[in-house]
Amino acid sequence: MTRFILIISIVSFLLIGSISCAADQSLSDTDSMTSTSLDDFSDDDFDDAFDDNFSGSGNTSHELIADPLEIVNRGTFWFNDKLYFYVLKPVVKGYRWVAPRPVRISIKNVFSNLVTPVRAVNSLLQMNVRGFGTEVYRFVINTTFGIGGLFDPAKSIAGVDKSIEDFGQTLGFYGLGHGFYLVLPFVGPSSLRDMIGTIADSYVDPLRYTGMRTYGLLIVRSVDSTTRLSLARDIYDGIVKDSLDPYLFIRAAYVQRRLAQVGENVYSRNIFHGPLFDADMLNPFEWFGLEL
Amino acid sequence: MKKILLSLILIVAMAVSSFALPAPQTQVEAMVNSVLSVLQRTDLTADEKKVQVSGLVQEYLNMESMARRTLGSYWEDATEEQRQQFSDLFVQVLEGTYLNRIGDYSDGSVKFLKQRVKGNKAIVDTQILTDDLEIPVQYKMIYVDGRWQVFDLVIESVSLIKNYRSSYGEIIRRKGYDGLLQLMEEKVKAMRATS
Repeated sequence: MTRFILIISIVSFLLIGSISCAADQSLSDTDSMTSTSLDDFSDDDFDDAFDDNFSGSGNTSHELIADPLEIVNRGTFWFNDKLYFYVLKPVVKGYRWVAPRPVRISIKNVFSNLVTPVRAVNSLLQMNVRGFGTEVYRFVINTTFGIGGLFDPAKSIAGVDKSIEDFGQTLGFYGLGHGFYLVLPFVGPSSLRDMIGTIADSYVDPLRYTGMRTYGLLIVRSVDSTTRLSLARDIYDGIVKDSLDPYLFIRAAYVQRRLAQVGENVYSRNIFHGPLFDADMLNPFEWFGLEL
Repeated sequence: MKKILLSLILIVAMAVSSFALPAPQTQVEAMVNSVLSVLQRTDLTADEKKVQVSGLVQEYLNMESMARRTLGSYWEDATEEQRQQFSDLFVQVLEGTYLNRIGDYSDGSVKFLKQRVKGNKAIVDTQILTDDLEIPVQYKMIYVDGRWQVFDLVIESVSLIKNYRSSYGEIIRRKGYDGLLQLMEEKVKAMRATS
């Protein structure tokens, strides 16, 4: 009898407990939905994500980045804008007409595969061994099975995504801030830190050591950027059309994106998730039973 | 005895989960699907589509909260009339933006990754998949008036509202509140003209 009472009390305790939990927990069940739950949800991530939007109304400063050279930057921005609409867009239009989409995707892949050292070295510099491994794995697979990088089976089959790192992010990883905002001619938004990063990265770029002349390099690089532009869905056009001041909008977006990229190592672990084939078989981390 | 206890716990757990409110992810799915289904209809003209989508967007987005967060501290200082003026224009700017953008990706599919809920706040992670791109889109939601509403969109880790707050704040600082409203009016007019 006493056992019975004990059980009843345990059950009622559990019941009350689970109901009060349910108030904030039950909803987090994604039950039978086709979700690929990537990682367990940690409270910190959640609070960080809401940090800004819930902590009252904007005691955060409006300027996300110092911009002492705004007048010059706006001039360069204007130049890039005209370059985009009057030179690049017509070129891209013709390019799209000449080269079908799959071809352009392959060209993009080749360039992306070629600059693997930049991502690999910077992953390593940030002690991101997984990122480094990812890049080595991707390079090997895509250069061989992907026929010199034309295809990206590492991603499309094995589900191993790029570990996007550059020297600007490495500097950020070690706590260096942007310094100030810069708009570079032809290149677009950058900052003092990221510009230094871009210059540093160019020393790891294999293209530099092909013995090509500056002229040739310039052509190769413009093919690369034109290809990427042809695949992007005229995002810039949209921003110009929608925002009150495109310069301010792009500046804010740039800072937010870079901030997220720098912070990525800390909280994002969803580098591997393979939707197509059975990712477990092709994912080298799974072979060794490493938990992601 | 252990078995009974276990089954009791199970029953309780099941009962509790069936009490769950409409989940935020379901809400986002409903929004995305209804917008896409309107866009993919062939029997409507572009204008009719816009009207329908605009109604849907207003239903799922919490415009008031978005307007307030965009203005930040300026919201507190503004008069009731100014707030109203701003909100009205903001809704139009936002709608125009949304309508212009969503069409670009209507050929893609949306994958729902996960949802996280804490109290009356939720984050739903999705991805827009096209043949060569995966664009992460995060919906931040709050629970008001008995349902989940979106108050921020985070696309490729860029929060739309944070972006608005930064640029609108800057404009107010330089041109004043009226300057901002004037710019917004011009923008809305321009959006109408091109659409």
